[in-house]
Amino acid sequence: MMPNLIIDNKKIRVAKGTRVIDAAESAGIYIPRFCYFAELGAVGACRVCAVKFIDGPVEGIRMSCMVEAEDGMVVATDDAEAVDFRRHVIEWMMMNHPHDCPVCDEGGHCLLQDLTVAGGHGIRRFAGKKRTYADQYLGPLISHEENRCIQCYRCSRFYQEYCGYTDLGVMGIAQRIYFGRYKDGVLENPFSGNLIDLCPTGVYTDKPSRYTGRRWDFERTTGVCTTCGLGCSIMVSARYRQVVRLEAAFSRAVNGAFICDRGRYGFSWVNSENRPRQGRVAAKAMAPQKAAAAAAGRLDSLAEQYGAGAIAVAGSGRSSLETLAAWMDLCRRRSWRGFFFDDLAAAPAAPAAVSGLSPENVVSMKAVESADMILAVGADPLGEAPMLALAMRQAWRAGAKVFAIDSRDLEWPFEFQQVVAEPHEIVDLLSGIEPENEIGGNAGKHAGKMAAIQDQIRHSRFPVILCGTAIVDQSTALAAAGLVKRLRKNKKDTRLFYTLPKANTFGGLLLDHRVQPPDELIHAMESGEIKALVAVESDLWQNCTDRDLLERALNGLEFLCAADCMATELVSRADIVIPVSSVYEAGGIYVNQEARAQWSAPAHAGGTPVRITGAGGHPPRVIGSAIPGGDMPGAWQAAWQIAGLAPPAGPGEMLEWMTKTYPVTAPVKTMAAQGVRIFPLQ
Amino acid sequence: MHPRVLLKNRKSGRIATIDEYRQSGGYQALENAFVKNDPPPGDIRETLLEARLLGRGGAGFPIGKKMSTVPDNAPHPRYLVCNADEMEPGTFKDRVLIHADPHQLIEGIVLAARAIEAEIAVIFIRREYENAARILEREIQVALGAGLAGKNILGSGHDCELVVHRSAGRYICGEGTALTNALEGKRANPRRPPPYPTTSGLWQRPTEVQNVETLCCVPHVISNGAPWFRSLALTENGAGTKVFSVSGRVNHPGCFELPMGIRLSELIEEHAGGMVPGSRFKACMPGGASTRLMPGSMYHLRLDYSEMEKNGYRLGTGAIMVFDHKTCLVQAAANLMTFFVRESCGWCTPCREGLPYILDLLKRIEAGQGRAEYIEMIRKMCGHMKYSYCAFAPGAVAPVQALIEDFHAEVTDHIENQGCPFKNRQSGENDAESHY
Amino acid sequence: MLPETYINEVEKRLRRAVHPREIIIDVMLEVQQFYGWFSDEALEQTARLLNMSPLEIEELATFYNYIYRQPVGKYVIHVCDSVICWMIGGYESFVEHIQEKLGIRMGQTTDDGMFTLLPVCCLGYCDLAPALMINRTIYGRLTAEKFDQIIEDLRREK
Ligand SMILES: Cc1cc2nc3c(=O)[nH]c(=O)nc-3n(C[C@H](O)[C@H](O)[C@H](O)COP(=O)(O)O)c2cc1C
Ligand code: SF4
Ligand code: FES
Repeated sequence: MMPNLIIDNKKIRVAKGTRVIDAAESAGIYIPRFCYFAELGAVGACRVCAVKFIDGPVEGIRMSCMVEAEDGMVVATDDAEAVDFRRHVIEWMMMNHPHDCPVCDEGGHCLLQDLTVAGGHGIRRFAGKKRTYADQYLGPLISHEENRCIQCYRCSRFYQEYCGYTDLGVMGIAQRIYFGRYKDGVLENPFSGNLIDLCPTGVYTDKPSRYTGRRWDFERTTGVCTTCGLGCSIMVSARYRQVVRLEAAFSRAVNGAFICDRGRYGFSWVNSENRPRQGRVAAKAMAPQKAAAAAAGRLDSLAEQYGAGAIAVAGSGRSSLETLAAWMDLCRRRSWRGFFFDDLAAAPAAPAAVSGLSPENVVSMKAVESADMILAVGADPLGEAPMLALAMRQAWRAGAKVFAIDSRDLEWPFEFQQVVAEPHEIVDLLSGIEPENEIGGNAGKHAGKMAAIQDQIRHSRFPVILCGTAIVDQSTALAAAGLVKRLRKNKKDTRLFYTLPKANTFGGLLLDHRVQPPDELIHAMESGEIKALVAVESDLWQNCTDRDLLERALNGLEFLCAADCMATELVSRADIVIPVSSVYEAGGIYVNQEARAQWSAPAHAGGTPVRITGAGGHPPRVIGSAIPGGDMPGAWQAAWQIAGLAPPAGPGEMLEWMTKTYPVTAPVKTMAAQGVRIFPLQ
Repeated sequence: MHPRVLLKNRKSGRIATIDEYRQSGGYQALENAFVKNDPPPGDIRETLLEARLLGRGGAGFPIGKKMSTVPDNAPHPRYLVCNADEMEPGTFKDRVLIHADPHQLIEGIVLAARAIEAEIAVIFIRREYENAARILEREIQVALGAGLAGKNILGSGHDCELVVHRSAGRYICGEGTALTNALEGKRANPRRPPPYPTTSGLWQRPTEVQNVETLCCVPHVISNGAPWFRSLALTENGAGTKVFSVSGRVNHPGCFELPMGIRLSELIEEHAGGMVPGSRFKACMPGGASTRLMPGSMYHLRLDYSEMEKNGYRLGTGAIMVFDHKTCLVQAAANLMTFFVRESCGWCTPCREGLPYILDLLKRIEAGQGRAEYIEMIRKMCGHMKYSYCAFAPGAVAPVQALIEDFHAEVTDHIENQGCPFKNRQSGENDAESHY
Repeated sequence: MLPETYINEVEKRLRRAVHPREIIIDVMLEVQQFYGWFSDEALEQTARLLNMSPLEIEELATFYNYIYRQPVGKYVIHVCDSVICWMIGGYESFVEHIQEKLGIRMGQTTDDGMFTLLPVCCLGYCDLAPALMINRTIYGRLTAEKFDQIIEDLRREK
């Protein structure tokens, strides 16, 4: 039954359980709010969402966040009494507000500012004193300015209820309410950056981006976070050719309204002084195209000398799908030794993960919140995919039971029961879980706990099996898929979730399921079979556990070329460096762990930040008609340059090329804002 | 002489013993209810409803009706909470009731618990009532010893554990849902239904919160029946007696148990000893600090829930605070508002910020810096308080609303003459009273 | 440091409690009793006892008025400033007298650490107005002389 109601003379039909404030918004009527935030629920504290219920089951002035839409309701948001009350609420909030908008980092994108102006409270009448507070040091990422607080309680609710951390909260009483910590100190919550987005005024502001500009000064666009395999939606702000700040962007399917701090603050590399911005051949700087041409020459002569099989490419899941496709195809066309995928060192079970997922058993991160039972095997969401831990916490808050089978000391922000088992034991334990029979397999000393897990699965409506790919091997990932299959056969809607290390681990394996792991590359380099390596946004060095071996292997190379936007170890050792644009400059498609391809739009044109080119001068500039450092190719374009060919003319043509060359990627052509799921072709 | 029910065992200087309480008929109802199951829980609820016993903690909600909202199949344990927070300024009847006859309260609690089949009863008592808390703890031991509480009461197989919980202060803790949060070790912000406490209160279990005086009435209602209880009142719709706490400019401030529906004038003149010499009645608050000031024109009003409601007043806790003609009501209102400003829990905006705003305006008026438009500002803001989160803020502005409506001249005098008339005029000769 | 026996007792109570949070206020008040006020040490000790974060304790400690987060004297004098005591006692002049007698203002503690003066809401003894509470003892129907006598007695008792 979907209630029908009338708000401001508009007929509106909404899903049962929709709050009137949201019902109105769905019809384009924005009701003011401070304390209400959908993810955090309604608490009715600020009282600024008051509207008049004229007819129906509820009558009189009520808080629209606290009332669920019902059939027959007639609501007026513009009722004189309601408007006057809301104006008073704002006036009350402004009594103690410092009015420091000109020096406040929130100024210009402040909900309090907007609603104060919109509410018509323009002239101060209150003649009393303002109360003032001392601020706290909350760490290097978040500034605290408590005087601006309007006591919406969003921060403490998010921090404690939503995230489960207890070092920030609400103290005091009456007009002396104070939000902060017991004492100064770095916030412990790995999601605390969301306080900045959540705070409707400037109590919590982004510290690293202080003094970099107002919101309207920035080039802003939505992108995909490339820090882990989840692909959360982010809002990128850039100015003067550098990324200034990342915020959470809303994504219904993936991350909802929040992101983790690692994602929010993990971008400093892109502005780094050390980032490769010029082509380099030996010690000589030159234009990127020239460096690429020089590399092409070396590769051609090496191929002639040793055969094409002596050349290899190393790449990683931090590249866009376009980049991965371009280089994989280049390898194939040139009959090089092959494309070696770094991610397989970090996540040996990743290929099984990609083959295990199907349109039937896949689950989005947001949907994990509605699971009523979660079994995590060999996975540490808080470490590997932080936002997933938050989704699991929401499931737990709603009553889900969470179990882990893992050998590590896990600390998650919710209760769970752990079966302490070594990674190699997990396969047996998983295959012992039967939808109907007694617990089978060789559960051994874990039999009791495994029986409890099996029992819970049986009694749950929507279990999710969560499997890591880092500490377990392929057989475990396959066993997880097998379990899901057995349960689904038994008519239980069970879903499968794998954690993957990089933004495009899935994408790389989607393009080529037989892509090779890097240890084979290293052995072939050491044995001298491979003489030349092109490292494309490669983390080979970072992922390798045997550094000595890698050192020997690299020393055995005749030629190392690195195409990267990061100052990696390989870049500093390379004979030729081709600098490439970052995701924020070039954009790209990323396929997350649930097979969802999403387009990350470029936020700004590439080029060396004014901070660097201006070298502190005033005005900060170099004279010339071109953007300094603006000639960096995208990493996919570099593949054509190195082949001595003209790359597809732009993103459109590139997409054309990719979907033709790799038919599996065809769905990206119809990609909506929420992305599109792509599974391996059967 | 009016009959006394709740305070009939009151002795000066000492508390009534369990034997004295028994001799006056105490614990008879409890014994019958537990040993003979007469009346059974459903009938207890029914009788309380018929008796029209209204909550004495301020809201005047029928106890029987509240009990009937506990779902039959509701889970256990269920809780009965005895609200002995009594922080409403002017109110001290619960203290007197506990000091006078603690077993009456204990029996009331155990019976009320029986009515909703609650097995745990918590007495939430304010910090200032340490003596009362100790009395209760001691007498609970006595009751436990006599098998009248605790496990397997009088061999009936039913339990009622009694716990005394001391508060650490704050008026808002007396609000039923804030009290629940306080008991759960949370900040004592109120909770807004749904769910209602009788469905999901303390620890998400059915919870019935009742005032001390309400619970003290319960054994008498059960022993003597609903018609008897109703007949105690002087008004048609009233029921029972009421323990009034009278304070202020009267000769004998104190607690007086009188029939519901007694006239204010009779209460003051015949029981509280009349106004102190040299004082004339100007106004009173009939039910504690969160009720409207009653002007002299209401002097003969009958003190009873429905009578008063008809006239726009609330009996509240029955705390009668009497102001005389020499007291500045602007100052008094500012004093009351200071209390509310300090005690607001800080959850919602109107209360947390709006009350200090009103206080600021009142103080300005009192200090001779008032402006004509302040009255309208105060009126508006007070009117908006009904849209705050709980009943605290609407109660907080009740005296101020009465001030600007019924004592308008006194306020405008402050504004027009830029000062407090009560401070400018010396002794009794030029009483400000003649103006108002 | 809190006595071992007390710590053991709280731990026992916690183990028995169905809902451990229900004893927080009791423990806070008892720990305060031991330390004289609810110092940082007392707060952190309470947090450890109850297995909660210091902030969670602070959230409660700063809510209630009988948890003292600043040092107080041996005797804390809570002077009722609500309406009846204000009216009957002539609040301004009575408080003025108290402050003079003790040589401190509201919110302060005497140098010898004996007395702290705090305003408090209606104590529920309006029939005995003006009233005040010293530690947990109520004094009513006060006059300047009566107050002085109480102070002298307490000083002598030490
Ligand atoms: C701000 C506020 C303070 C209250 N304080 C008390 C109190 O101290 N004692 C009390 O019995 N009821 C108090 N109440 C009323 C309670 O919320 C509740 O209605 C009452 O305890 C129910 O018991 P009764 O029905 O027996 O009166 C207060 C209400 C409000 C809004
Ligand atoms: S509680 Fe507040 S924001 Fe919140 S929506 Fe309602 S009144 Fe609004
Ligand atoms: S007004 Fe002071 S005790 Fe009541």
